[in-house]
Amino acid sequence: QGFPGAPPGGSYPGAPPYGGAPYGQPGSGPYGGPQPGPYGGAAPGGNVPPGVDPEAFSWFQAVDADHSGYISVKELKQALVNSNWSTFNDETCLLMINMFDKNRSGRIDVYGFSALLRFIQQWKNLFQQYDRDQSGSISFNELQQAFTQMGYNLSPQFSQLLLARYGQHSPSPSIQLDRFIHICMQLQSTTDAFREKDTALVGNVRLSYEDFLTMVVTRML
Amino acid sequence: MAFPGQPAPGGGFYQGGYGGAPGGPAFPGQAQDPLYGYFAAVGGQDGQIDADELQRCLTQAGIAGAYKPFNLETCRLMISMLDRDMSGTLGFHEFKELWAVVSGWKQHFLSFDSDGSGTVDRQELEKALMNMGFRLSPQAVTAITRRYSTHGKITFDDYIACCVKLRALTECFRRRDTTQQGFVNFQYDDFIQCVMSI
Repeated sequence: QGFPGAPPGGSYPGAPPYGGAPYGQPGSGPYGGPQPGPYGGAAPGGNVPPGVDPEAFSWFQAVDADHSGYISVKELKQALVNSNWSTFNDETCLLMINMFDKNRSGRIDVYGFSALLRFIQQWKNLFQQYDRDQSGSISFNELQQAFTQMGYNLSPQFSQLLLARYGQHSPSPSIQLDRFIHICMQLQSTTDAFREKDTALVGNVRLSYEDFLTMVVTRML
Repeated sequence: MAFPGQPAPGGGFYQGGYGGAPGGPAFPGQAQDPLYGYFAAVGGQDGQIDADELQRCLTQAGIAGAYKPFNLETCRLMISMLDRDMSGTLGFHEFKELWAVVSGWKQHFLSFDSDGSGTVDRQELEKALMNMGFRLSPQAVTAITRRYSTHGKITFDDYIACCVKLRALTECFRRRDTTQQGFVNFQYDDFIQCVMSI
């Protein structure tokens, strides 16, 4: 349907210094498929829009608390939970709305929501794959493994940094699903940004302060 | 090359660099420091505060003034800005440094929030950031405004979040610009760490 591609099932061969293309489909073009049409909030429970999963539809109606026909970041946050029952953090929700929000309105409609749920399910499957001990969260070793399998070539300090920043402050911090999604997507964006400048593929770029700021600000916010 | 992001005069700026103080006061006078009271009240046994505690601490100390308290993500950002030992927490000295920096930004924000509404619009935001010395490309300003504005307005909380990010990125860059020419050679791994630790 043209929504952002699914995360990979396995590793990719032929890695340049910083790992190969981690994910299959690049970009997040506008979605094809059936036109949104005048969905609005008036549709009775029975009329599932074409191309939308019935379960996603009823979920959408439950989450769209004000029946506006759109889901905001705040409403989305209520709908998504981690394995420890914490709601998805704001940053991840914002990232997702931006990805599936076709017209930059800051909200998503039922088609966007339906695609978002599929997207999350695919990430959840991947997450569960990497969560080898089935603890519900990803530890340092599991995170290292995940990056390697995705085709990245990153130091242990990097994983350490992420756990310190995003894990809970326990003897063995670990990452929940929402942060895992957020991290992987940012990693992809950042790698893309770096690769754009590293035309010689040497794993090294020379940046001016302004270039650096622009690169990061336009991709990471 | 001068790096931007220093708060306006009056905000103060600790040249600091102390690590976090474990346990109780590490030097005479620390206990009398009014800020220490707020810090100790939330800090607990280890003399370090995490994002939740920082949020409480700043709220109680009234830095947000009439504005609503900082959201947790902003607090997390503030910690990463000063968290030199990558522990995810701040000691008292780092907290004092943070306080001074945020006070400076608050003064700055107030000077641009002409109607005292607690928000600034895109133009005021651009002026405020340029005034702090950040040389931002038009794309960067667009990205920032898109990210931080709600109905065309940027709140104090989000303004702080934006400043923290810009300053943290600047610090990241400055530490690597050993020749002070305004250029850095980034290795991939280092670049990723730099950017994703913000």
